[in-house]
Formats: sequence, C-alpha cells, structure tokens
Amino acid sequence: MEGQVALLLAVSLLVLGLGTLLSRRNVIWKLLGLNVASGGAALFLVAVGHRPQAVPPILGWGPGPAADPLPQALILTAIVIHFATLALSLVYVIFLTEHLHTQDVPKLERGEDE
Amino acid sequence: MKWAAWLVAMILGGLLAWTSWGLFPRPALPPWQEATAYWGARNAVAAIVLGARLYDTLFEVLVFAMAMVGVRLALRPLPKRRARPPVIESPLLERAADVLVPAIGVFGVYLAASGHLAPGGGFPAGAIVGTGLLLVALARGIRALAQEFPQPILSQLEYGSLAALLILGGGSLALGWRGGWLLTLANMLILIKVSTGAWTVLEHFAAHRGEV
Repeated sequence: MEGQVALLLAVSLLVLGLGTLLSRRNVIWKLLGLNVASGGAALFLVAVGHRPQAVPPILGWGPGPAADPLPQALILTAIVIHFATLALSLVYVIFLTEHLHTQDVPKLERGEDE
Repeated sequence: MKWAAWLVAMILGGLLAWTSWGLFPRPALPPWQEATAYWGARNAVAAIVLGARLYDTLFEVLVFAMAMVGVRLALRPLPKRRARPPVIESPLLERAADVLVPAIGVFGVYLAASGHLAPGGGFPAGAIVGTGLLLVALARGIRALAQEFPQPILSQLEYGSLAALLILGGGSLALGWRGGWLLTLANMLILIKVSTGAWTVLEHFAAHRGEV
C-alpha cells in the first residue's frame, strides 16, 4: 500500500513539474519545473523498488524481504547528475541573459533584444 | 493556453499512474546476499554502484566532471562582478553555522567511510558536505570563504580524485581488484569529487552574479 501512495505522490510531482515546464515562459521557471519533474522520476523508481514490510537491502538487517537495491543505485547517481546538468543549464541562462537581456522564451526564439 | 498545458500534463500523469498501477505487488527479489558479499560489501546498493555496475558509475563521474568543466569554461568570458559588501546575516545564522558545520563535515566523512556497511555512500556524503559549505558561505560571505580555499589546490583535488577514481575503476575492471578497502577508497574519492564540484559551482555563480 505504501508503494502505491509513494507512486501517486511521484506522479503528482511529475505533473506539477511538467505543467510548470509547459506553461511558464521564463527559462528559469522552466528549469525549476524540469528539476521538480526529475525529483518525481526519482521517487517513482524508488517506489517501484518497494516491497511490503521491506527492510533496507543491507546484510544482517533484520528478517523480512529487502527493498530492491537496483533502482536505489540508479537514483543515487541520477540525483548528482540532475544537480550537475541543472548547474550547467543555469550557466547558459546567465549567458543568454547577459547577451539578449531577456529570459522570456518567445522573445529568445525571435532573437529579440529587449 | 496555460490550461491546455496543465491539461496535457495531467493527462500524461493520469496515463502513467493508470499503466503503472499494475506494477504492484512486486515479484520477490533474486538472492542478493551472496552477490553483495562477493563484492566485499554489506550494503547491496554499494555493491551495485561500485561493483556490478562500475562502468555506469565511472561514466557518471565523468559526466559530473564534464559538467563542472563546462561551468568553469562557460563562465570565463563573462565579466566578474565587483565585490559587493556582504549582506549582514543575523547572529543566529552565524552561531548555527559555527555549531553545525563541524558536525556536518564529520557526518559526511562518516557516511562516505561506512557507505559499504551501512546506509550511505560517496554521492550523498558529497552532497551533504557541499550543503555544509553553502551554509558557511551564507553565514560568512563567499569571498571570505573563497580566500581560504585557494583555487589551484581545489582543482588539483578535483582532478586528482577523478584520476585516482579512474585508476581504481580500471584496476577493478581489468585486474579484478575487489574488497572493502576498494569500496571505502572509492567512496572517499567520490566524496572529494562531488563536494569540490559543488563548491566550484557555488563559487563561480557567486563570483559572476554577485554575493550570495
């Protein structure tokens, strides 16, 4: 049951991030929405690794089934990659703001100088 | 048009929730205890990250290093902002930083050193130490902190830990090294790599966009 609750939470985070990504016009808001959506993806994968009454997958940690360690290992590296790519894309936002003086996507697409 | 965007996002989310509902109940795990012990770990996640899927981790660390190099290179042509006087923070934040930062540092190193035996590992430990650095930067001003970490030593640490990690990974992949010492060493190197990378991002953003 906890697995389903975490899964619904993950899907709602994804919807929140995706909606922000699609509806906002500011690049920084779009990046924030993308980051929220990637958090939802991380939570989704960890929720899939859940088992009823599961313990952490560590040797000697009590009786009962263990949670699936593979999605956890996947997410461990993915979170750091989210951080790195977010930093890199924010650098390019700084660049765009410095040269075109706007963060509005339609204006950026027209190459307009505000 | 905004409602259309939200509608598309909700329909996609509903489809995802509907199709993934049948994922539960999950099938039982294959026996993982022997494989974990084979790599010299007790934490199965550490055995996967630094053993069975080592290629994945090595290239992930390379992606992280490339992103940090990109941050440095792309910000270089931009003018450095004139140092503004640091914002006076409340004494509460300064005292909290004095008390908390040693504990955060010790906890980060502990998580990295015991990552193969208990919950932890190099990546979360690096994120924790990076957050501790952010706390000091908020409390004391980032320029004062940047003068205590000279840039050449930082880049030597960053690229040195990357090179040592690649050597360790190559030894593990080609020569079959494995065991607890390898996992501990690799976790400590990942801690150094991730925390210096986080500090690089913090320092460059602050240097080019003003004081934190």
